[in-house]
Amino acid sequence: MTGKGDEQANLVRSYALSTLSVAVILIAWEGAARAKLVPDLFLPSVSAVLIALRDEIADGTLPIDLGVSLYRAFAGLLLAGVVGVAVGIAMARSALTRWFLDPLIGVAFPAPKIAFLPIFILWFGIDHMSKILLVAFSSVFPIVIATYSAAISVNRLLIWSSLSLGSSRPMIMWKVILPACYPRIVAAFRVAVPVALITAFTAEMVAGGGGMGATLMYAQRFFESPTVFAYIVTMLVVGLVFDKAMLVIRDRFPSWREFN
Amino acid sequence: MISKISVRGVSKSYNSNAGEVLALQGTDLEIRQGEFVSLVGPSGCGKSTLLYIVGGFLAANGVVQIDGKTIIGPGVDRGIVFQEYALFPWLTVRRNILYGPRVRNLPPQQCDEVADRLIDVIGLRNFEHRYPRELSGGMKQRVAIARMLAGDPAILLLDEPFGALDALTREAMQDELLRIWLEMRKTVLMVTHDVNEAVYLSNRICVMSARPGRIVKEFTVNLDRTRTREAIVLSDEYNRVRNQVWLSVRQQASTVAAAG
Amino acid sequence: MTRSITDAAIRLSPIAIVLGIWQLTASLHWVDTAFLPAPAAVGRALGQLLSGNEIRDNLLVTLFRALAGLALATVSGVWFGIGMARSWVFNAIVSPLVGATYSLPKTAIVPLLILWFGIGSTMGIIAVYLTCLLPIIVQTYHGVRATPAVLVWSAQSMGAEERKILWQILLPHALPDIFTGLRVALGFSFVVAISAEMIASTKGIGRLIFMYGESGSYDFMFAAVASVVIAAFFADRALLALSTRSLRWHESHAGANPGVAA
Repeated sequence: MTGKGDEQANLVRSYALSTLSVAVILIAWEGAARAKLVPDLFLPSVSAVLIALRDEIADGTLPIDLGVSLYRAFAGLLLAGVVGVAVGIAMARSALTRWFLDPLIGVAFPAPKIAFLPIFILWFGIDHMSKILLVAFSSVFPIVIATYSAAISVNRLLIWSSLSLGSSRPMIMWKVILPACYPRIVAAFRVAVPVALITAFTAEMVAGGGGMGATLMYAQRFFESPTVFAYIVTMLVVGLVFDKAMLVIRDRFPSWREFN
Repeated sequence: MISKISVRGVSKSYNSNAGEVLALQGTDLEIRQGEFVSLVGPSGCGKSTLLYIVGGFLAANGVVQIDGKTIIGPGVDRGIVFQEYALFPWLTVRRNILYGPRVRNLPPQQCDEVADRLIDVIGLRNFEHRYPRELSGGMKQRVAIARMLAGDPAILLLDEPFGALDALTREAMQDELLRIWLEMRKTVLMVTHDVNEAVYLSNRICVMSARPGRIVKEFTVNLDRTRTREAIVLSDEYNRVRNQVWLSVRQQASTVAAAG
Repeated sequence: MTRSITDAAIRLSPIAIVLGIWQLTASLHWVDTAFLPAPAAVGRALGQLLSGNEIRDNLLVTLFRALAGLALATVSGVWFGIGMARSWVFNAIVSPLVGATYSLPKTAIVPLLILWFGIGSTMGIIAVYLTCLLPIIVQTYHGVRATPAVLVWSAQSMGAEERKILWQILLPHALPDIFTGLRVALGFSFVVAISAEMIASTKGIGRLIFMYGESGSYDFMFAAVASVVIAAFFADRALLALSTRSLRWHESHAGANPGVAA
């Protein structure tokens, strides 16, 4: 049986092995592409992809597309955040609200929200609004649920002692309940951010109207493989960056330990 | 005569964040067939570690032999009961007890006989198809003991088996264990932090030093265990030995305090 | 029995209320029924579609793609998860790839899959497979890693060797976590299957919804969306029921009560 220390020595070797694994894959990819083992269409070489990437950044297509997509994703996320937290707290405070929304959330949560895209397009067209609202619709549920479960478990004693110290209700909301809910809301956002990105990209792939997804589909239809790969890689990097950012946020603003 | 259990020069170190920690140093122990030996000592002295090494769950330097043969790992000759019960939560009481016989492919009829006998011995006939989560601590420990006995091991290894139980349940379980040992005369090696328990049950007590642990003192206990608990505990011999052991353990513990 | 019916009625009545308000706004023409058909009209359309083959055929195609991908992902995901939990070497080699799929918006690979496999069920199943792989791997890994050593040791002291430890100890211990991953993966499977269809396909409920939208048959479009929501709801419920039954022994199961004191 290995002890803790053996595991730590393994950690260094693990990182080395992981890096090696990625390097091997990249090299194999480049090798296979250059040796024309697979047609260019299916597997453009790494260098071709990088060139396409450079060109599209240079002529502005990629930055603009990325900007459009991110705008839609985060506008929708902001909306979902505000509405989600408000609804979650309302459900925690009012049994009536909870009774009313519970079955609606129960039915909507497992539903694939992307199926509603045509409805949103019908109502709001193919430009920003339909996509922003679809993103909000997709990301709001984890936030509502996390806020609700955090709010109802806020320690009664915390609230009562604040009351007895003379705090008003709004103050309790801002100073006691919301901070206590903070960690679970952040955790929900960590789930919601990828959802928002996927929804924005997918909506663009399906319905067009600008953005990363639309250009990606365009490139695929015209068999421009390097661009397809370049855009996918960009989406991957964007996803990674935002996930790391969420981790930094979570660690930089630690929650207050629950008062027992 | 060959010892049942022979431990010679066994030492064990761990790698931790602070570097190498020596848990056991040059420990020797010989146990004869049919003995009931308790390991006592201050917290962290390595008594559980020694037990796990004898059980074959941890590797160590030195020699560990059972019936004169060096062990290479866990074996069906050494049954074990842990403080946390370690019952398989997904199996019923009956299936837990039958785990050993089934693994060794005993014929079904024999399995049933073993299970029925042991379930009656521990008095849980009405609970044989319940899951561990439905049992109290004392019941779980009884199942753990029955499960160990179902494999009919020659050696019983017990790691603070009654540590998590309340006082009354503990006494009942101790009497139960004593009865089983008197009847089956298996070799028992038990780790306990409770000096009273060690004196009550074992005919030999080994006191271990603070970390890095080794056996520093041994006590032989000659009590007529066929008497009632009251008779035993109120006897002069019991109290004489108990005081000696208690003092010895305290001495070892105070070296920890002095060093720390 | 009647109590649970009235309980259910009370819990579900908000849905009836929303439907009622919706119907009211349509009947009173507060909203243009071209944009928001009345529930009655949607219901009629749904009935028509169900009596015909459109919904049945297309929904089955979508379900097939989603569930086939999910099943394949479950089998290989559990295998990967166990492998990664037991061998640090395997873990080191595979985890960058797993981590990459975590950050990648899953539908982004659909255009790539179209390049490689064309449009149709193969592409859809592969897209679902790659998406559902991740939650199952992560949860299996977590469940296996968290297996207490004392459980493994107990089994070993009773004579269980490696293979038995794997199937009889590690896997059952990981089962609650695996089911959690499955519920997440089920949701993903529907989303990706439908997305892939909407992006490029000739069949499937996603394609159907879009088709009705493009031809202006909004009653039917809403009806098709409703059918998906209902299907997804019942699929989730079915999985929940399965997991509850399989996890009867788990501590979190309702109704755990310790027996009489020993």
